[in-house]
Amino acid sequence: MLPIDAAAHSSRWRRRHPVDKAVLGLGLTVLAVSLPPWPGAALVLVTALVVLLGPAGVPRRRLWRAYRVPLGFCVTGAVTLLVQVGGPGGFVSLADGGPVRAGELLLRTSAASLGVLLFAFTTPMSDLLPRLVRAGVPAPVVDVALVTYRMSFLLLDSVRRIREAQSARLGHTTRAAAWRSLGGLGATAFIRAFDRAARLQAGLAGRGYDGTLRVLLPEARVSVRFTAASCALLVALTVLTFVLERPLT
Amino acid sequence: MHIAEGFLPPAHAVAWGVASAPFVVHGVRSLTREVREHPESTLLLGASGAFTFVLSALKLPSVTGSCSHPTGTGLGAILFRPPAMAVLGTITLLFQALLLAHGGLTTLGANVFSMAIAGPWAGYTVYRLLRRYDVPLMVAVFSAAFVADLSTYCVTSVQLALAFPDPGSGFLGALGKFGSIFAITQVPLAVSEGLLTVLVMRLLVQSSKGELTRLGVLLAEKQSRTETEAVTR
Repeated sequence: MLPIDAAAHSSRWRRRHPVDKAVLGLGLTVLAVSLPPWPGAALVLVTALVVLLGPAGVPRRRLWRAYRVPLGFCVTGAVTLLVQVGGPGGFVSLADGGPVRAGELLLRTSAASLGVLLFAFTTPMSDLLPRLVRAGVPAPVVDVALVTYRMSFLLLDSVRRIREAQSARLGHTTRAAAWRSLGGLGATAFIRAFDRAARLQAGLAGRGYDGTLRVLLPEARVSVRFTAASCALLVALTVLTFVLERPLT
Repeated sequence: MHIAEGFLPPAHAVAWGVASAPFVVHGVRSLTREVREHPESTLLLGASGAFTFVLSALKLPSVTGSCSHPTGTGLGAILFRPPAMAVLGTITLLFQALLLAHGGLTTLGANVFSMAIAGPWAGYTVYRLLRRYDVPLMVAVFSAAFVADLSTYCVTSVQLALAFPDPGSGFLGALGKFGSIFAITQVPLAVSEGLLTVLVMRLLVQSSKGELTRLGVLLAEKQSRTETEAVTR
């Protein structure tokens, strides 16, 4: 299982309905993107961090390991805003207001990423996917997504074991050997995926498979109190941003 | 390269979502029809999605000494066709956003457009064109993977340049800026992905003829050969 999904399964909010967590987590993301980066995104960032480490109980180290991935992309992307092409300063020169734009972009992306991480760290995919049918996603697409999700872990595990076996047979000692091993790895993953699909099909056919995959979902109800509190928090953040915007800029 | 969460301004994020929607809806409709007619396809398509997800997690040695991961769009388009890739790519990108923190939900539309639509269609077009003129299979596979990978990054450059025009030279300057950054890293990676795809396809032709025929890849080979023969006659 992937670390974020594993953490979601053992989360304090695991039993909460995905709608509750979507309103809070994705609501924070929407605010981060749509409010002025300063002070809006900064407020969202602090709030998301407090909720993640406080009530949601996400372990710090796990959060950092997941967060540093998008953070790396954000920093790389923001660096390009520091320079400009052409103009009086030469072919490539430092852009006027570049650091401010880069800083604002960093604030926005890092706050938005934390909002999504709040949702991802508290909502296992297996709780979310079957409920997408009620949100209007066609059932066959949800079924394909469910099979993809479940099969991904098996395949990732297979890939890890194949890579270990290749290394044990000196499959990564030279560049040529590494390429050969990588090609073999990709082809074996394909063959294993289709072999598993065929065996799953045979097993399901024996159990009267009619084209729909029915899965049991843990009972959960949308909490009016939780959702209302989340909405109140989002409104408060919006109001606070507009109140603080003028004095702080 | 996925565009990170919150990287695009809201209007751009919505616009790319709207641009991707017709392709994804078309893919969803054809997938739904396929699953209703052949329920067993659910498992095959799920396996294809899982393969695409795993393929994007493979570490690819880069010419510069670092490593990256393949987009898998070229191989996916050859094996599963671009409409199916629009749906499978969307599912994969959703999983990457929520399970790996790669990409994002607000930038899903933009990422879907570059990785699940533009890349697969560009790669598949090149593949079909080359096969029509009887270019050897592995050359066509390499070209498809190379073009799919590179076009994905070109579209991403356009998306970023539109969102962040250069203060001095506007959209074109920004396109050059993002494009040159990608060109340094992505041309070698596109070559690497092309080579990897050839290796994978060569092994698949040797060991999985049944699956390739079921997917129509080997049948398409026969058809394109017959078409070319008919044209020469």
